[in-house]
Amino acid sequence: MTQKKALVIGGGIAGMQASLDLADQGIKVYLVERNPSIGGNMAKLDKTFPTLDCAACIITPKLVDTGGHKNIELLTYSEVQNITGEAGAFKVKVLKKARFVDIDKCTGCAACTQVCVLKNKILDEHNEGMGKRGAAYIPFPQAVPLKATIDPEHCLFLTKGKCTMKCVEACGPGAIDHEQKPEEVTLAVGSIIVATGFKLEDPAKKPEYGYGVYDNVITSLQIERLLSPSGPTGGEVKRPSDGEHPKKVAFLQCVCSRDLNTNIYCSRYCCMQAIKEAILLKEHNPDVEVTIFYIDIRAFGKGYEELYNRAKDEFGVNFVKGRIAEIHEKDDKSLVTIGEDIVGGGVVESKVDLVVLSVGVAPVPLPEGIGIEIPVWRDNFYRAKNQYVDAVTTDIPGVFVAGCAESPKDIPDSVTQGSAAAMRASILLEEK
Amino acid sequence: MTEEELRVGVYVCHCGTNIAGVVDVDAVVEYAASLPNVVHATKNMYMCSLPAQSGIKEDIKKHSLNRVVVASCTPKMHEPTFRAAVQAGGLNPFLYEQANIREHCAWVHADQPERATEKAKDLVRMAVAKARLLSPLNPKKIAVIRSALVVGGGPAGLRSAADLASRGFEVSLIEKSHFLGGNAVRSASLPFTDQTPREAAAVLTDALEDEKNISVHTGYEAESLNGYLGNFTISLVKKPRFVKECSNCGRCIAVCPVETDNEFDYGLSMRKAIYMPYDSAYPNYPAIDMSVCKKCGECVNACAESAIDLEAEDEKLDLSVGAVVIATGAKNYTPKDGEFGWGKSDRVLSLPVLERVLDKTGPTKGRLKGKVENVVFIGCVGSRQKKTSEEEKVNEYCSRICCTESVKNAIHIKDRHPDAGVFYLFRDIRTYGRDEYLYREALEKGVVFIQFEGDVPPEVNVLKKGAKVVVSDVLSRESFEIPASHVVLATGFEPGADADKVLEVFKLNRSADGFFQEAHIKLRPLETSTEGVFIAGACQAPKNLVESIASGSAAAAKAAVPLSMGEVELDPAKAMVTEFCDGCAICIDPCLGKAITLVEYEKDGELKKTVEVNEALCKGCGVCMATCPKKGIDVRHFTLDQLQAMVDAALET
Ligand SMILES: Cc1cc2nc3c(=O)[nH]c(=O)nc-3n(C[C@H](O)[C@H](O)[C@H](O)COP(=O)(O)OP(=O)(O)OC[C@H]3O[C@@H](n4cnc5c(N)ncnc54)[C@H](O)[C@@H]3O)c2cc1C
Ligand SMILES: Cc1cc2nc3c(=O)[nH]c(=O)nc-3n(C[C@H](O)[C@H](O)[C@H](O)COP(=O)(O)OP(=O)(O)OC[C@H]3O[C@@H](n4cnc5c(N)ncnc54)[C@H](O)[C@@H]3O)c2cc1C
Ligand code: SF4
Repeated sequence: MTQKKALVIGGGIAGMQASLDLADQGIKVYLVERNPSIGGNMAKLDKTFPTLDCAACIITPKLVDTGGHKNIELLTYSEVQNITGEAGAFKVKVLKKARFVDIDKCTGCAACTQVCVLKNKILDEHNEGMGKRGAAYIPFPQAVPLKATIDPEHCLFLTKGKCTMKCVEACGPGAIDHEQKPEEVTLAVGSIIVATGFKLEDPAKKPEYGYGVYDNVITSLQIERLLSPSGPTGGEVKRPSDGEHPKKVAFLQCVCSRDLNTNIYCSRYCCMQAIKEAILLKEHNPDVEVTIFYIDIRAFGKGYEELYNRAKDEFGVNFVKGRIAEIHEKDDKSLVTIGEDIVGGGVVESKVDLVVLSVGVAPVPLPEGIGIEIPVWRDNFYRAKNQYVDAVTTDIPGVFVAGCAESPKDIPDSVTQGSAAAMRASILLEEK
Repeated sequence: MTEEELRVGVYVCHCGTNIAGVVDVDAVVEYAASLPNVVHATKNMYMCSLPAQSGIKEDIKKHSLNRVVVASCTPKMHEPTFRAAVQAGGLNPFLYEQANIREHCAWVHADQPERATEKAKDLVRMAVAKARLLSPLNPKKIAVIRSALVVGGGPAGLRSAADLASRGFEVSLIEKSHFLGGNAVRSASLPFTDQTPREAAAVLTDALEDEKNISVHTGYEAESLNGYLGNFTISLVKKPRFVKECSNCGRCIAVCPVETDNEFDYGLSMRKAIYMPYDSAYPNYPAIDMSVCKKCGECVNACAESAIDLEAEDEKLDLSVGAVVIATGAKNYTPKDGEFGWGKSDRVLSLPVLERVLDKTGPTKGRLKGKVENVVFIGCVGSRQKKTSEEEKVNEYCSRICCTESVKNAIHIKDRHPDAGVFYLFRDIRTYGRDEYLYREALEKGVVFIQFEGDVPPEVNVLKKGAKVVVSDVLSRESFEIPASHVVLATGFEPGADADKVLEVFKLNRSADGFFQEAHIKLRPLETSTEGVFIAGACQAPKNLVESIASGSAAAAKAAVPLSMGEVELDPAKAMVTEFCDGCAICIDPCLGKAITLVEYEKDGELKKTVEVNEALCKGCGVCMATCPKKGIDVRHFTLDQLQAMVDAALET
């Protein structure tokens, strides 16, 4: 008998949309997310192109709807371990990692995060390492579920066996449980949607840009965190080396994209991401000089060319066609970018306070050996069996793909594909 | 009934720095606390976060609140969120009011923080004044007809229809022309595959054939839509095909004496008055083009199946469905006369024409006319245009697929004519995502890419055979002259030819770029301002085939929600008739939803009149309330008393 239930792997915007569209049809959904909260990369963004509405404002309703839906069971901080069976009747083993917090008792009050002896000592991944957190942490204020997690890699008690354990003391409801064990659950589902999204490619693959070496070379996601009012600087853009407000900022496009040495494909959203971030910098301070070094500006989506034009005409963002060949750091930690200006001609050197790398996208495949292997395309992203007739069905019957797991894309296209995967998956579930 | 004591809770949101960066949130909280009946006032960094919502829930119990006001963003965004929180606290969700101090204060008055703060206080005072008069409301549920209408038989519409049918719903697919497939089947090839667009379309039409619960209506257009989500009635008109389903033996076509341009091939081939646009077109039997038919009757005589009726007339059909998917596509930009040599020579082609030319089964068997020496593509024709004057209407947008399509065809031409020069004159190469591999392939195969600046477009001087193309190259800062044997204009897309009618019938809006407007560009790209009507494919914005297909499935998912649930909830903010109505009927005409009818009734032996409101049709817009001279009709949740209280509060100082 077909299980009228679905599994969605990955709780980014694509996975959430897929879950909601299934759940709204009355289908039970298990949404497995390996991080403590759903939201994915979009939860890290400040504002979003092309309309510049704030990411938190538009993603929060989705987070809340997904978290509160009666047909969606969230399994956060969990990993899929094994998949057996076939379309209509999959058996899926999921490991619920130990949070060391009883989520039924935790109220999300964040008291533990305030008293953790490691508070402000651990690089915070939600802030892309631009801020710090403790071992007891809640990734961001709108997290769903709003529960604390204790990071087993850092917690002094869990790693060294001793700590004053202020968190336990501070926790009113007594939710903290350092003895908590991981739990394995087995789910029976009829179809599976893979929405594992993307990560930024490792910018260290382009050593000429000095990422990780020069303090003031940061990634596109890091500047989102600096721009964000809920970020580590409260929305003030300060350069990492000295906390000064940068007066000159350079964006480098196609870092690890359109590049024979790293990835050939274009990462699709980063031209618009840079245009957006440049505008936001200008909105923060119109006197900041912002230059975007690009190969081609790919403003192809609805409203994108219009925003590109505004960036040039209204906000005075500079666009220079050409790849930067190398970056050097000066004594005062400012940077000299050297590259070709294809339109203006010649090699241009400019001194800037901050360099933002518009780093390309890399796939986040499912762990190896979990029982299914979805064929990938040349670019290593999951592919649909025949994308020209069905954009989301993979070669494995019953398994669908959505969002950046299928290929790099922006939010509108991720959302659309999430809905499409929900549709194709629901047909299978309702068939028999 | 004893008046319960009013206990209002007010919550003011920082929205990060969105509000707090301009408005003095603490001052607003303090002010709110001083207002009559406000027993609790507080603030939060993000009111929409779960803890803040739980806070509302707990405060309702702790402070025995019976009204809640949140001062934050637009209610369009979070009214549902906060209503749910209020409900979770045990109150009726309509005992909630929102003051928009973000869009209406912080954003519009960013440069005047003090006055923005004062305005925020005013808005909070008004919201509290309304909150005092709110009453509990309970939404009605209405049944949904479990069938769908899909408008447009291109790839997006076909995908939507096939998905909804295989999900188990009755589906009617209407297509204006006599054949399915849309724009896609006119192109010759697809990137990265040997599969032709026609083969892809055939997979979809085969899927339709397999489904029992789908009816395909070609030649149909929608004339009107009535009703509401769950209960639409649609009137359709069919333009006759003049041919019934037959074995497509071809005898009629052979005998027809009338020849005319085959528009499917942009006039590159001829067809008869009775015709198939191409052999495998679906449905696979001919249609007659009455605009050229002479009614000589040759075909009727030749037909052994009596399938032809030259006197067939328009037919009408009414459908009742629960949801609608619009997938009426886009049209190709036609260059203006003389634009880059357009219309001056058969060696100046547009992209869609080139697709027909390169189709091996097409009118030229895949061959370009004449000797192929230098083929010059010119990018962004009809796209990325700049206004030269305020009034000028231009296509400012990028048409998204023309770069990839040009590069795809440049490769084909290079493959077939390795010795020919193939040039792409471009502004930016937008072979986004995976299509970058095509661009690489083109570079490797020797296609020459030359960039020009938008304000210095290439010049095309048409010659007897071919043209002289002059381009200012950005890279070398030199001007080149290319003797072109063929020029291909990479034409973009525009909203479909009859978009106006579709918009009017289905009550949709246009975006600034002219394409159909979605409810939210990022998170609700398939929904529209008409609940229950969804958009898919190129009618929303230019899209490639994969994206059109994805949005077809996605729109089907949206339609599947109400259809599978079988009922929908109505917003209770609807007009209601009061005891003061005397049936004067002034409100009936102005009502935008045609929701009001006049009724007669007997009271104390007397014949009286009043009006009745169809709540499913009523949009709660309040036009009736504004028209009525005697308070005979009122809109729930926006009653005259409530609005009066807000105005009074606004004028207080
Ligand atoms: C700097 C930057 C700025 C951007 N700005 C914009 C913008 O302004 N507008 C716009 O439209 N787009 C923008 N984008 C693109 C946008 O972020 C993506 O389109 C979107 O986030 C893709 O969503 P997704 O759900 O496919 O993937 P993701 O957001 O990556 O979500 C995938 C989820 O799956 C989880 N996951 C992965 N593997 C597993 C596993 N094995 N088991 C369980 N869970 C797993 C991940 O933890 C994650 O939560 C931007 C991107 C970046 C990097
Ligand atoms: C020349 C050309 C080449 C292309 N090449 C490629 C390519 O190489 N790769 C790729 O991925 N994509 C390509 N595309 C894009 C692809 O064809 C489109 O993405 C796709 O056709 C859009 O599908 P659609 O269903 O939204 O619209 P359409 O295909 O435009 O179909 C819309 C349908 O709706 C019908 N219709 C319109 N109005 C009404 C009405 N009022 N009532 C009923 N029916 C109506 C129309 O008759 C038509 O059949 C190409 C397009 C063109 C024009
Ligand atoms: S979107 Fe722009 S920056 Fe990103 S890879 Fe493509 S061309 Fe480069």
